[in-house]
Amino acid sequence: MARNYIKYRKKSDVGPNQRLRRRSVLLILLILVFGFGAVISRLAYLQLVDGTYLQEKAVEQQLTDTTINAKRGTIYDTNGKVLAQSASVWKVVLAPAYFKSEEQRVEVAKDLAEILDLDEQNVYEKTQQHSYYVIVKRKIESDTREKIIKLQDKIEKKYGIANLVQLLDDYKRYYPYNDLASSVIGFTGSDDQGLEGIEYQYDSYLTGTPGRIITAQNANGTDMPFQYEQNVEAEEGNSIYLTIDETIQSICEKYMKQGLEDNAVKNRGVCIAMEVDTGAILACVTVGGYNLNDPYTLPEETQKEIDALPKDKQDTATGEALSQMWRNKAISDTYYPGSVFKMVTASMALNEGVVDDSSTFYCTGAMKVGDAKPIGCHVTSGHGTQNFTQAICNSCNPAFIQIGQLVGADKYKQYYEAFGFSERTGIDLPGESEDIFFPGEMSIVDLAVASFGQGIAITPIQMITACSAVANGGYLVQPYVVRQIVNSEGNVIQNTESKIKRQVVSKEVSDKMNKILEYNTTTAGANSGYIAGYRVAGKTGTSEKLTSTYGSEDYIASFCGYAPADDPKIAMLVFFDTPTGTSYYGSQVSSPVFINIMSEVLPYLQVQAEYTNDEIQYVDTVAGAYVGLTVSEAQQKAQEAGFTVTIKGEGEKVISQIPGVSAKIPNGGNVVLYTDNSSDSEKVTVPDLVGYSISEVNAIASNSGVNASLSNAGSSDVVSVSQDIEPGTEVKPGTVVTVKFATSQTLND
Amino acid sequence: MTSYQEMFLKADINRIYDEKYRENQRAKVQSNFVRSGNKKIKNKRKKGWFIKGMGIDLPFCLIILVLLIIGMIMMFSASYPVAYYSMNDSYYYLKRQLIFAVIGVAVMLGLSFFNYNKLHKIAPFVLGISYAALVLVLILPANNGVHRWIGIGTFGIQASEITKFAIVLFFAHWGSKYYNKMEFAKYSIIPGVIIFGSTAILLILEPHYSCTAIVFMLTVLMLYISGMKMKYIAVGGAAILAAILLLWITGGLSYAMTRMDGWGQALIYTDEQMWQDTWQTRNSLYAIGSGGLWGLGLGQSRQKYLYLPEPQNDFVFAIVCEELGLIGAVIILLIFALLVWRGITLSLRAKDKFGKLLGIGLTAQIGLQVILNILVITDWMPNTGISLPFFSYGGSSLIMLLAQMGLVLSISRTANIEKQ
Repeated sequence: MARNYIKYRKKSDVGPNQRLRRRSVLLILLILVFGFGAVISRLAYLQLVDGTYLQEKAVEQQLTDTTINAKRGTIYDTNGKVLAQSASVWKVVLAPAYFKSEEQRVEVAKDLAEILDLDEQNVYEKTQQHSYYVIVKRKIESDTREKIIKLQDKIEKKYGIANLVQLLDDYKRYYPYNDLASSVIGFTGSDDQGLEGIEYQYDSYLTGTPGRIITAQNANGTDMPFQYEQNVEAEEGNSIYLTIDETIQSICEKYMKQGLEDNAVKNRGVCIAMEVDTGAILACVTVGGYNLNDPYTLPEETQKEIDALPKDKQDTATGEALSQMWRNKAISDTYYPGSVFKMVTASMALNEGVVDDSSTFYCTGAMKVGDAKPIGCHVTSGHGTQNFTQAICNSCNPAFIQIGQLVGADKYKQYYEAFGFSERTGIDLPGESEDIFFPGEMSIVDLAVASFGQGIAITPIQMITACSAVANGGYLVQPYVVRQIVNSEGNVIQNTESKIKRQVVSKEVSDKMNKILEYNTTTAGANSGYIAGYRVAGKTGTSEKLTSTYGSEDYIASFCGYAPADDPKIAMLVFFDTPTGTSYYGSQVSSPVFINIMSEVLPYLQVQAEYTNDEIQYVDTVAGAYVGLTVSEAQQKAQEAGFTVTIKGEGEKVISQIPGVSAKIPNGGNVVLYTDNSSDSEKVTVPDLVGYSISEVNAIASNSGVNASLSNAGSSDVVSVSQDIEPGTEVKPGTVVTVKFATSQTLND
Repeated sequence: MTSYQEMFLKADINRIYDEKYRENQRAKVQSNFVRSGNKKIKNKRKKGWFIKGMGIDLPFCLIILVLLIIGMIMMFSASYPVAYYSMNDSYYYLKRQLIFAVIGVAVMLGLSFFNYNKLHKIAPFVLGISYAALVLVLILPANNGVHRWIGIGTFGIQASEITKFAIVLFFAHWGSKYYNKMEFAKYSIIPGVIIFGSTAILLILEPHYSCTAIVFMLTVLMLYISGMKMKYIAVGGAAILAAILLLWITGGLSYAMTRMDGWGQALIYTDEQMWQDTWQTRNSLYAIGSGGLWGLGLGQSRQKYLYLPEPQNDFVFAIVCEELGLIGAVIILLIFALLVWRGITLSLRAKDKFGKLLGIGLTAQIGLQVILNILVITDWMPNTGISLPFFSYGGSSLIMLLAQMGLVLSISRTANIEKQ
């Protein structure tokens, strides 16, 4: 056939029939080559070149890809108490691309605005977008959710559009303790992202992996009849265990708040409790914190001040006030440590061997250094001649100027750096500040003031870290607040190992400092940190503020100490910024708070109280000698000593007593006086006193006619754990049974 | 030695047997044409591969049936979600199309026995019916804003279906009648302009642009193969090109493109109205692009889930592209090409001018419609309603199509009898 066509194509042959054939062949060529060729190349272009793009666009409209928020991890205190937790709420999402008419948009916008309490115009604008995902409102609670579900039904019935309005899982952060440890924990923003504190620092750990639901849907938004669904489960975030102990933190906050009020403190206060050996932060308080559940509400007074400002300045003022409120003073603010720093200067002097017990320092009440005007001592008459220990206990500035001079500027700076003041501590919290040291070479005056902690601005966390180094044998540790990170299955994914940066001073120096600072608390007068039964080492400080001009009354009152002095466990820094009450001295403002906190925290930490012979008197009283006295005389004497009296027999004189002379019995204990032998044989049975609170033990003991001597009954939150006379033993009335107590926490474990 | 001899012997026997068989068939065929009044033909048949059987061109018939079956399957695949959602019956369109196909095939086979020469005389009358139908639809109420359908009971037919056939038929009639006078304008360009012009006016009033385009092409095509002077085509073509160029230069073309339902703008919609207008074309492009080389697999289209409106009609091939990919689309287009090639070559073998012209016209019409349909679904032509033969849903047009194929088959019978 093909041969025929060639034949007919010859020009010479053209006739009417050949013309038709030739033209038909041309026509076939035209249709097949040009027409079909064009069509096939167009298809090839669309399917091969543009294919990926077009397929993407197609998939974009066919698949609804819904992000499922992951539950944020929980923040626990060291004992597993919940400090921050996420609870289910919902977000309302609109897919306006499904709208088919203007009336639908108007009506749905109206309904949504009403249910969600939003501006109708605003919602209407959202219905105008060609999108499948427009967030209408976040974090709605279950009652609103019910209403939205009803609206969904209505829309589906009325317009036949499913998935126009969707409810997606969301989470809301709750902080059960409101303002407890607010500056440490921090809070989250509307997208569940951490904004402050741990929430910010560990955001990547706490945030889980969002899940996705991908469904294929037809143009009306209903699922396509065949199953095309891909679910990627949201992965819950990791949970964090802090080193913070809620009990200790609460104790600290309680007394810090009290201290803040008592001393009319203007600019908040800080309390940090640190485990000296590990650097674990047990409590970190910036008193005057904020409610984590409501972080954008300022204190009433501040709000009033802002409201009084002109309108245009209110926003800026609010912003500043909020950031000030959120600021973690313990690590973000710098201050002059003042006399507290003397423990550091003293340590470096001892470590350098420039001082020893035989060194003496003379104080005339002021000391002239260089060309500057003389630097005064707080005792204007002067301390006279003092040895090293006395210089510390006297907190004598001239003595420390001399000690500083013995150390020398170069060594001073070396130790300053070694104690970690020139670097950030590296605590795992955001916003840590750096110190401010003298620029350039230290002058002799610089060295003089630096010796007693003025002129060097450091952060509270640096101070407590250095204090721990003094206490723990000279090791500078890195402070941390996160003890452990645990994934959603409960497996530990990260455990914080305590990190020793370096040894700054020798063990001997540390031991010596412990003795000196303990001596300081017991001898430097009232309110220097002495707690009966506990060996506390510490130093007060009253420092001028960085901003203060000469003669101003702005001070920082601080106390930094640790216990027990013979084997330090916990170090604590208490400081109040600008107390404006009756006193601004560290010893008056901060020491009482320190003592209050420590006397509750130490028993809680199972630190055994060891009373000296003097102290024991305060705890148990010694029974007097009543034998031989008349009944009325003996009764009077015993009652004067604070005992209750039980008289047995009919005689006129006391012939025997229980407890015996000089026997220890608790204050308010019962003394049994015998006046004849008739009731000599009377016996009582020792009751079971284990497992009770202090008051219960007292009640049971007195009902049974025995005396209970309470051991280690430091706080009210304790339970009796043992007694020295077995229950059921027959004893004479008034016999003393020693009952040991422990915190209920231990018992539960 | 012996084996060779045997082989030759066997071949000889086969040849003899074959000859006998063919003679038998020839007698049958001849009697058919005697019956149909074709007396000039002698009972000598052309040799060829597929000429056995009923005397019709078997390959052409097979191609039609293959296309019909593939078309039916693909139409069903494309339409079942729409049928499910709008009719609550996934088989809605398939069931109806099947009935039409059965009727259509019956009509086709029936018409293959029809002596197409009878149409020669009634061609002007059919053209008259076409005009009447085109006027009638304008009087009848509009459907979706266009006047296209004439309802007969529950079924309707598009007036343009009649027109396309009438144009081909009339010019086959005219061209065969004045075949030797076609060089004169009086017999070629002038009747062409008059008939196309008047038809085009009525079609534009409907409006039905794509059919206008097809009628234009068919008119030119028929006049061309009838022997119209090339200079008219050259001048006309030059004029059209110049007009397009002028529009393009003045920016009128892009205006026209946006006016024509956002033609060419499906993927670059700028406003709400355009987004709505180009919805169908855009989703067609998404479907075609999603197919890639190998397609998503038969039945696996996603765009048919209400994204592509009316996927059973004009845009069925977009779903074909999505499910079968470029490979499947090209295979189907090759079958269409085969149909066009076979249809035209068999028509050229027809014994008379009328048969040749009619067969070529009817076959070429299918080719043109395939090309235009794909240009529409790929956004190279405005979306103005042009169905894909054998694939698009529609009873009357399918029956009409198969009836026309029946005529081509009838022509093929005469082609299969060698002229003296």
